[in-house]
Order: sequence, then structure tokens, then C-alpha cells
Amino acid sequence: MKEATLRQILVVTDGCSNSGMSPVAAAALAREQGITVNVIGVIEKSELGEKGETEIREIAEAGGGLCDIVYPQQLAQTVQMLTRKAMTRTIHQVVHKELKEILGDSGIAELEPQKRVQVAGMVDELGEKSSLNVVMLVDTSGSMKPKLSAVQQAIHDFSISLHSRSGRSRMAVCSFPGKQKYLDVRIPWTEQVEQAHHITGDLAMSGITPTGPAIVEAIALFDHGKLPQSLSERYAGTESDDHEDGSLRDHVF
Amino acid sequence: MEACVTMSFKQPPVIPSLPRQFHGKWNKKSYHVLRELGRGANGAVYLATQGGVKRAVKVGGESIDILMEVNVLKSVQQGRDSQVGPLLCDVDDLMIDGKPCAFYAMEYLEGEQLDRYIRQSGTEWVAVMMVQLLARLDVLHKHGWVFGDLKPENVIVTRADKQVRLIDFGGVTKLGNAVRQFTEEYDRAYWHAGDRRAEVSYDLFSAAVMMVRLFVDRQTWTSSLGEPRQTVWLCDIIRNSDGLYPYRVPLLKAFHGKYASAGEMRADMLAILRELTVAAPRQQKQARKRTSGAGGMGISGLFVASLLLLAGTLYYAWFM
Repeated sequence: MKEATLRQILVVTDGCSNSGMSPVAAAALAREQGITVNVIGVIEKSELGEKGETEIREIAEAGGGLCDIVYPQQLAQTVQMLTRKAMTRTIHQVVHKELKEILGDSGIAELEPQKRVQVAGMVDELGEKSSLNVVMLVDTSGSMKPKLSAVQQAIHDFSISLHSRSGRSRMAVCSFPGKQKYLDVRIPWTEQVEQAHHITGDLAMSGITPTGPAIVEAIALFDHGKLPQSLSERYAGTESDDHEDGSLRDHVF
Repeated sequence: MEACVTMSFKQPPVIPSLPRQFHGKWNKKSYHVLRELGRGANGAVYLATQGGVKRAVKVGGESIDILMEVNVLKSVQQGRDSQVGPLLCDVDDLMIDGKPCAFYAMEYLEGEQLDRYIRQSGTEWVAVMMVQLLARLDVLHKHGWVFGDLKPENVIVTRADKQVRLIDFGGVTKLGNAVRQFTEEYDRAYWHAGDRRAEVSYDLFSAAVMMVRLFVDRQTWTSSLGEPRQTVWLCDIIRNSDGLYPYRVPLLKAFHGKYASAGEMRADMLAILRELTVAAPRQQKQARKRTSGAGGMGISGLFVASLLLLAGTLYYAWFM
């Protein structure tokens, strides 16, 4: 447990996906490979609508993660909060599972509160010490433009939070849609983002929002190797995964 | 599974509302809920009575968050005389819609939120309260914890004996770990003055910002919060405030992380407070004059000199 590495994808978006596979299926695929998917909806007023809200919730649910819908000024703090809570949850689930094996079906719920307080303390400590890898996946379709300065600030801020942890932390930042692929790697895996990077420059502003395919590509950034054959056939559609993996690696390393 | 615990915009966070009456599953204590007291990031706090005594009861969306807070509260309880926060009275589960939900009950601290208290009673209370607060922080730090989410909303002034107590332990973090929860306005990293590692100096930074905040009205504060935020801007407020100006040295030292303990900062503040009280009548007149005219220039100059002195010995980032 001490060497645990937590993997998360954090999607920052402001609307519905409209291209490629379902982002909910993509999130389920990520979860299948031990990657938690969190989603933050950034909105200016109330432009998101019920459909977008539902999608955000469904992605997070399928990805075993958390979601929130906030104004741009709340973004930085939300990123930190959501990431931490999702980590705690993941670790708690693992601990819960282990305890279930010792204590029987009801597991931790059968422990008296005082004992569970100790478990909570342990979960907290494990969360702090474990390694954390996060890919931030930023929607850069046209409507996101006015929110990108807030996103940039949140990226920098997030890197400070990661840097303050005791455990090893890495983050990468990608934008979607990409120029050629579904996503572009803006900041490759790094332990600290020194300054707010300009992700606003030469963005592919277009009407398409391929959230699902972008999540699938982001999965490839984790050093897991390729998708299992059966899953890649089921989810990836017409795209060849080998090809995608290869070119992404080039970007990153 | 509650997947969306923090849907904060359209839907309220999934914090279960307490039934009007309930009892704990394990310890069998029964509670009468009177009203909601407030909501934090992890849950809601209700005022309740248990066996005829008032208690503050906290429940949250996720039991684990609540239990983590209890873990911290418990370890601070050791210094019972220290009065850092409320006393922990009970930890238990209650059933809401057939699901167990962790809650804890603590001593109900009757009093006013620090910012409201200052608004009602006047800014001359600020320094007194700060000195008290620093004593509380000192105890917490000595137990190996950092408060983290220090802000006026999390400080209460008890009605009966005007004592400062800390509430909401959701941000309390073990020294050396990453601060669990913070509020941007009082967060060192947000002011570009350091990271979010839980250190004594993290709390002292927040305390200093809080002191400045308590001297200005809400409008001035929010309207001037430009980007990027830098402590230089706080210094402008200090320079222009009669109330804050005498405390410029401890405040600046706190901004720059120059105190090793809350006790040290407390001693500095206390010394200034004493001196001001003794010299009160004459100093006030001088302070009035300072804002305009030649007298103002002179003292501004002094201020700049003290800044330079600090800059020289302290920190490279002053002009950043």
C-alpha cells in the first residue's frame, strides 16, 4: 500500500461532447484500468444546460470519480479539492476492500466509530504519502476561450498543491480537440509547472468537442502500455490504437 | 454510491439533512435537532440538545471526511485546558434513509464569528483577538498540527468570556503534509508567497492577512483583489490604515515567513499593543495627521525604510 500510485484524469469542460465515442464509455474504460476520471464543468452564467450537467455527472460516475460545476474564479480551488477528495475515496475503497476480507461482508461499517476514526487517519496519511499522477484534460473548443486564463491559473495553482505533497506527484496537461489528433499534449509529465503556461496560443478553435476520444487518448499517457486488445476493439472504433499510442509517446518523451 | 458529492452550483451538495430527532447507533445517545448552524466544505453543523445540554452536531456527505476531522479533533483534545477548539463529545452513526451516516457531537460554543464581532464591537478589538488567536495556534502547532483554513468565519468569539476559539477542523493538517483545505483569500500560495505545505508559517501568513482583512470593509477588500495578488498590495493597506500601521513589522514578518512560532509573533504583537495602550491619547492625534501633509511623508519614509531593512535581510522576492 505504501508504494501505491494513484492515477487520475481531470476533465475541464464547458459543454457536451459532440464527436466520437461516448465520454461515459471512455470513462468506464479508464476506470477499468485503474484510472479515476474527475470532471469539472466551468460555466460563465448558466449556459451548461441539463444535458451538459447530466453528461458531466455520468462521466464522473462511470470513471469512479467526482464532479463539480463552478464559475471560472472558483476553478483553482475546485481542482485541488476534487483531486484530494477523489484520492481519499480511492484509497478508502481499497482499504475498505481489504478490511472486508478480514471482517466479512459489511467490512468497515461494522467497526465501532472510534476504530473507524483510526482507519480514517490511516487513509489520510496514505493519501498524503502515495504517488499521484494526474492528466489535466482541457476542453479548448471555441466557447472555452474566455475561461482559459482561469484555466491557466488553475494549472499553475494545482502544480503548487501537488508540489506541497509528501508523496511523489506528476501532472501533464493536454488540450482537446488537438490539431491532428483528438488531443495535444501541452505540458508533458512534470513534477512542477514553473509558471502559468500559455495554453491559449495557437489553439484549434473548432465546434467539435471530442471528449470521449480525448479521454481514451489520455489513458495512453499513463505508462500502462497499450489498451488490452479486447477493450481497444470494443471502444476505439475505427482508429488504430497502436498508431495513437506511438505518436503520443513521441509527444511526451 | 454518491458520485457527485460536490455539485455546488445547480444542486446543493449532497449533505444529508438531519431528522428532527435521532439517536446514535453505538452509543445510544439521543439528540433533538434545533436548527442548522452552518455549512462547511465537508458537511453541515446543526445545533441540537442531548440530555438537556446544547451540542453542535456535524454530518457530512462522506463519512470518511467526517471521521478524518474527528481524528484531528481527538488529538488536539489532549490539551484540555488549552481551549483551541470545541471539545469532542460523541462520535457515532445515525441511519438516514436506511444508510449509516457518521456524525460527531461537540461542545456548542455560543458566540459570534470573528468578523461579525469586530463589526459590532469596533476594530480596537482586532489586535486583542489576534493575540489570543496566536496563543491558540501556538498550542495547535505544538501538538504537530497546522490549522490550514484560517479565516474569520472559522474563528468564534465566545459570548460569555470573549475568548477566541477555532471551529471547523476540516483544514487541519499534520505538520509537513499538504494543507488539506484552504480559502484563497488567506492562502499563502494564492498570494504568491510560498507553497501549501503545512508549516507554522502557513498559518501565520493567513493570520496576518486576516488581521488586514478585519480592518477594511468588505467592499474595499473585494474590489481591490486584483490579479496577480501580491503582498505589496496588503502593504498599501497597512500603510494607509491608522489601526494597522503600528503592527507593520510583525505583519511583514509573517508575510515573509520569518517567525519560527506563533508565540514569537504573539510576543511582538503584545508588545506593540501594550505600548499603544500606554501612549494612546497622544499617538492617536499624530496618526490623524499622518494621512496628509508633511508628517505623512515623514512616517511613510520611515515605513519605506523599514521595508527596505526587511527586504535587505529577509527576502529576494520583494520586488517580484
